Amino acid sequence: MSLFTRNALIALLITVAIIGTVLYAVNFLNQQRVAELRSIEDQLATDTLSIETQFALLEEAPCEDIAAGTISQEVGGVGDKLAYAEERAGANDPEVLRLKERYTLLQIRDYLLTKRLSETCGVKPVVALYFYSNVPGECEECDRAGYALSYLRQTYPALRVYSFDYHLDLAALRTFISVLKVHDGEFPAFVIQGKPSYGFTSLEDLEKAFPKSLFATTTRSTTKVR
Amino acid sequence: MNLEILAYPFIFAAIYFEAFFLVTLLSAPAVASRKRTASTNTPMVAMIVPCYNEEQTVSGTAESLLALDYPKDKLRIVLVDDGSTDGTASIMDSFAHHENVTVIHQKNQGKHVALNSGIAAVEEAELIGCLDADSFVDAGALREMIGGFDDGRVAASTAAMSVHTPRTILERMQNAEYIMGIACRHILAAVNGIYVTPGPFSLYRRDVVVELGGFRNGHNTEDMEMALRIQKAGYAIESAPLARVFTKTPRTVPALVKQRTRWTTGFLRNMLNEYRDMVGNPQYGALGLLVLPLGFLAILGGIMMFFLVIYQIISQGIQMLMITSGVPVAYTISTLVPTFGNASWFYLPVSIFALLGFVALAGSILFMVVGKNISKTPAQLSVGVIAYMLVYGLIAPFWLLFSVADVATDNRRAWK
Repeated sequence: MSLFTRNALIALLITVAIIGTVLYAVNFLNQQRVAELRSIEDQLATDTLSIETQFALLEEAPCEDIAAGTISQEVGGVGDKLAYAEERAGANDPEVLRLKERYTLLQIRDYLLTKRLSETCGVKPVVALYFYSNVPGECEECDRAGYALSYLRQTYPALRVYSFDYHLDLAALRTFISVLKVHDGEFPAFVIQGKPSYGFTSLEDLEKAFPKSLFATTTRSTTKVR
Repeated sequence: MNLEILAYPFIFAAIYFEAFFLVTLLSAPAVASRKRTASTNTPMVAMIVPCYNEEQTVSGTAESLLALDYPKDKLRIVLVDDGSTDGTASIMDSFAHHENVTVIHQKNQGKHVALNSGIAAVEEAELIGCLDADSFVDAGALREMIGGFDDGRVAASTAAMSVHTPRTILERMQNAEYIMGIACRHILAAVNGIYVTPGPFSLYRRDVVVELGGFRNGHNTEDMEMALRIQKAGYAIESAPLARVFTKTPRTVPALVKQRTRWTTGFLRNMLNEYRDMVGNPQYGALGLLVLPLGFLAILGGIMMFFLVIYQIISQGIQMLMITSGVPVAYTISTLVPTFGNASWFYLPVSIFALLGFVALAGSILFMVVGKNISKTPAQLSVGVIAYMLVYGLIAPFWLLFSVADVATDNRRAWK
């Protein structure tokens, strides 16, 4: 075998090894991301329990003893991380889907508690429910809407935003959607202060849907909206 | 469709080429070549300097030749004025009093004719060196190169080129690239894959050059054409990494683009015409099967990657503008600026494309370091390497595009 042939074959092996290593490294990192999400499952469970407990306590405890912000800081970033992991590992990754379902459940529970607090204790939080679709071509404006909501939430901490993948296969979400009467096929969909609306044109138009009292606060928070 | 996928074959080829270089660098012929010491043989050598309007540098070139560590009675220096219109001719004449210097004046007929005039004037020479009039040889360069001719198959040898006193970013970038070229030629010589004997300084066996019919215009790349003709005739081309030569390089981007357009056009025209049969031909070993095909691939890949990057920047820019429209710019800026306090490995933008690109780039840098070390070239590489990483990719596509366009439209540009 000539020197050239020998070296060409060794080089091919090295190249395949390098590419294999890169593929492994990228896959490993994606798996680590999912593992990171998994690691906060406990926190998700704790938060869910905490909300349920507060629900129960509402029957007996005075309103002023109930904390309004129930989702912990660790879990607050799950939405961002889920969106990123979804982009990297794929929307159909079983682990990503599982965590998305749990996070969705937590958001629904938190929303219900917030609503109960509002009814029972007279607390008036500004709440926006945002429904998006990941089906290609079904929601051209979802990225813009999500970005505008991120801006509003970061700029006005009094605003509570819950975002949901409309097509997530989760019974509780389906029930939630039907209770709220959010139509299928019209995205992005919002339920702001209990009123459903569809489509996104501009930030100004979106702001008009919120009560003016919201814009009196300016302190920033840090969480993005999917 | 993710367009990144189009780049993968080129990245694969780049990594494969680098892996081949690394393996060959460590193989026995390359190691033996590095161990070779400067020759004590002193065959008759003629150094030919073809020159057209080089009044700024020709004096330094001639002086560097006179300072060569070589017996004066075995060294002829032939300065050929190819019809210069500036003060070059008189400067050349001022060297005529040296016993071993011959000055030839001729009307302007091109570099290859000037070289042939010089070769004709030194029939007694066994080896002929061709040195551009803007290049300066290290005193020991000739002895370093002569050792390669101990093998009777060797018809030419290349030197270790780097940039003469690089100062600007552009010169430093070219210096890093030239130094990488030293490693590349050293490695390719081990598998007889050299396809160009660079004009700044190459040494030839005179009888082979005469046998092959002397230099030709070679689509304005007479050095490449001669190397290809030598290879086609079955001879070998050596490389002497310790034969240092320093050359002037373009100082402006347009001048660099013009020079490289000439080189690339020359490569394409030689390959598509006279030497088409060498591409992919196993008879020519590494040269035919690897080096020449990858030359085409590099041109195609450079152009494609350029358009791919432009497309990505524009499409992502438009998408970002659309998403962020209406939202205060200050907020958008705040989301773009990394907040290190919240930085997390979770958001590390690692992709297959980015990692493979990094490997390919790291390979280039490795060969720059190898080139510097094996040639012992006194150079500060860091700025040049950074400039190479940041600037080269922005400029190179232009000469690649111009070259392809020139070849496609049969546009012939002047040398200078």
